[in-house]
Amino acid sequence: MPGFPFPGRPGGEHDEPLLDMIIARRALPPDAPQEMHDLARMLAALAGPAEPGELAREAAVRAAFRRAASPVGVSPAARRPMRHRRPRRSRASSRSRARLATALVATVAGLGSVLAAYTDLLPSPIQQVAHVAVAAPAPHRTGSPPSTTTSRARHLHATLQPTSRPGPRPSHSAGTAQRPGQTATPRPRLTPFSLPPGHGTCNPAPRHSPVPSPTASDRSWPAFTWSPEQSCPSVVTWPSG
Amino acid sequence: MIGAAFGVTLASAQGGDETAFACLFRDVQPTLLRYLHVITPEAEDVAGDTWLQVVKGLPRFRGGEEAFRAWLFTIARHRAVDAGRSRSRRPDVPLTLVQIAEQPLAPDAAELALEAISTRSVMVLIKSLPREHAEIIMLRVVAGLEAADVARIVGKTPGAVRVTAHRALRRLADLAERAGVTH
Repeated sequence: MPGFPFPGRPGGEHDEPLLDMIIARRALPPDAPQEMHDLARMLAALAGPAEPGELAREAAVRAAFRRAASPVGVSPAARRPMRHRRPRRSRASSRSRARLATALVATVAGLGSVLAAYTDLLPSPIQQVAHVAVAAPAPHRTGSPPSTTTSRARHLHATLQPTSRPGPRPSHSAGTAQRPGQTATPRPRLTPFSLPPGHGTCNPAPRHSPVPSPTASDRSWPAFTWSPEQSCPSVVTWPSG
Repeated sequence: MIGAAFGVTLASAQGGDETAFACLFRDVQPTLLRYLHVITPEAEDVAGDTWLQVVKGLPRFRGGEEAFRAWLFTIARHRAVDAGRSRSRRPDVPLTLVQIAEQPLAPDAAELALEAISTRSVMVLIKSLPREHAEIIMLRVVAGLEAADVARIVGKTPGAVRVTAHRALRRLADLAERAGVTH
């Protein structure tokens, strides 16, 4: 086939201008090889008008267009009431929220642990660790942690009364040494700042312990005894010294 | 190609004019369908999905007729790739059918010689080309996209698209001559 180069044939690069004309859908010169004209005619047939069946989906596509163009013809998701829609959050936003929540929980847990350590609420082994690590109060030797009310009150007492102050300290009624000759009669105990139910007066008479400085075992809350015969001001004050 | 009236037609379609939209559809659909027949066996379904996406994005589209075609064919190619992935995930295709589908689509030369030059016969020839050649001919020559647009769609450089288009046209001419389609 003279004049029309095919792949592998000599002179294959000389047809490029004609191929560019075919691609651009320009008319070929009359003296172009017949094969080039045939190729142009083939491609023109390929870009020809619609054949039967090629527009079969027109009705469906037009219906989709009508739905989209109609004000109410929106997607089912858009027709749903707003309260049913879930806000779309990006993955990065969810991750940062999770990180923030984790940091918040860790901070609260850490602060809570330190607070519990300083109020002597932790079990003895953990309290001992806290004692060493963050200079929290040493744990009780009795083993079981004290009750919450007593421990908090003790902490409050320690806060109000400096430990460097010399002098007798009140001692807890239970577990402490009794004065010689004193009988151990059970008396109703009151916690500070409280009155017995049904009684308007009280007599805060703390029993002071002769022990000058508390040890880890007898850091105790001053006991208040109450006798109905005595009266006191309506405001309960903390015993000094 | 719609030509000078494309801007008005597009604006009317974007304003909700169904007739204008139908004009756009009829102008592009045949070429789109022929292109899809070359790159996917599910051309009809992919074309439908493509138009649905065009309908959704039409109000936001900005550009001329060439840009519109480039946008539409880009969507079509993505949908065809998605369809191919979906098809490849189906585990229940019998092996015999796969083997049949993978056989070359080129018809016997004697059969082609009996046919006149028609869209269908040229499509058969195009399908017998390597997939890359066939796709570039369809996009560059039949759809009339610029080399830069075709390069973006198929992931090549414009220079590579030009070289491949020339090579594909030479091969197509060779096939047509051997098949006697052009006589």
